Amino acid sequence: MPDPIHQFDLHRIVPINLFGWDVSFTNSAAFMVLAVLLTTSFFMVATRARSLVPTRLQSVAEISYEFVAGMLRESIGKEGMKYFPFVFALFIFIFVCNMLGMIPGAFTVTSHIVVTAALAALVFLTVLVVGFAKNGLRFLKLFVPSGVPIYVLPLVTVIEVISFLSRPISHSVRLFANMLAGHITLKVFGGFVVMLLGAGSFAVLTPLPLLMAVAITALEVLVAFLQAYVFTMLTCMYLNDALHPGH
Amino acid sequence: MVDPPDKQGPAPAEMTPQERARFEGRLTDLGDRLGKVKAQRDADARADLDAEMRGRGMAYGMRMAAELVAAVIVGGVIGWGLDWVLGSRPWLFLLFFLLGFAAGVLNVMRAYERMQREFAARTGGSIGQKVPDNDD
Repeated sequence: MPDPIHQFDLHRIVPINLFGWDVSFTNSAAFMVLAVLLTTSFFMVATRARSLVPTRLQSVAEISYEFVAGMLRESIGKEGMKYFPFVFALFIFIFVCNMLGMIPGAFTVTSHIVVTAALAALVFLTVLVVGFAKNGLRFLKLFVPSGVPIYVLPLVTVIEVISFLSRPISHSVRLFANMLAGHITLKVFGGFVVMLLGAGSFAVLTPLPLLMAVAITALEVLVAFLQAYVFTMLTCMYLNDALHPGH
Repeated sequence: MVDPPDKQGPAPAEMTPQERARFEGRLTDLGDRLGKVKAQRDADARADLDAEMRGRGMAYGMRMAAELVAAVIVGGVIGWGLDWVLGSRPWLFLLFFLLGFAAGVLNVMRAYERMQREFAARTGGSIGQKVPDNDD
């Protein structure tokens, strides 16, 4: 049986050793660079003409802009547009990485928790910095819900703090777990096809896992988009908490 | 598609009673056929929406699990760290583990509220298909 975990292996492409740290350029880094290059060149080509009546490429660029801008306006309001570059970059990066991962043989950057955790930590720190910069100590009101009797307030505050600290974990695990599980499932069904083909008369059963693999591929394309959307949506909500901590 | 109604039909005043009866028969027939097509289309749209919402159910289930587990882990780690600093093992770990569980339930409740709002916006109030229930 082909090893379903093998696809997540990292290899050093350019070994780099910096002060005793292994910071080699790996296949994961290569796919991140590829995602950034693809995105940048796509938007440069798509927005080059800047015509009033958009071409097909320009429409795609405009739709992606409208999609993220709509999310921001809906969950934060107009002042949320200040954070558009950050949120848009997050969404496009995750989306393109997820979609690149759907190409057979490609590496899925977002199936490594270190990547999604770094992104979630970035969001978490941004929320902290923005929250304290905008509201000062009033940001701490986020942990003190209004209308709670004074004798349970310490308990509720501790619970709220734990809930707040758990955000980056659930934020990163959700994206990572979905991508990891999806790609393992695909590989397992692909492995069944190969195994059945080599299993003599059982080869007549081959179409079953093959059909399943096709169906799961379609599902995974949906998941790739949906998880990028969910990650961005949660980012918007957390930013909203940073801007309006009083609920 | 449904045939267009016979617009060139004779005006009611010029019709003999038999013609009028036939004309009205055709009218009701047309109404029935239109109604059937419309009902079919509504049912298809509802089935599509329902399938989509069911597909999302899996994603939402995973999300709830992540919300709950994450808070329990954070609570446990905080308690363990405090124990390590204060040398009070295992009491703070136990306390914060339970507080983490409470925070997890809080997370799930908040996620559910958001989900409910999202569903309500899409389906107009009902989640999935209504299933007959003995308690109703």
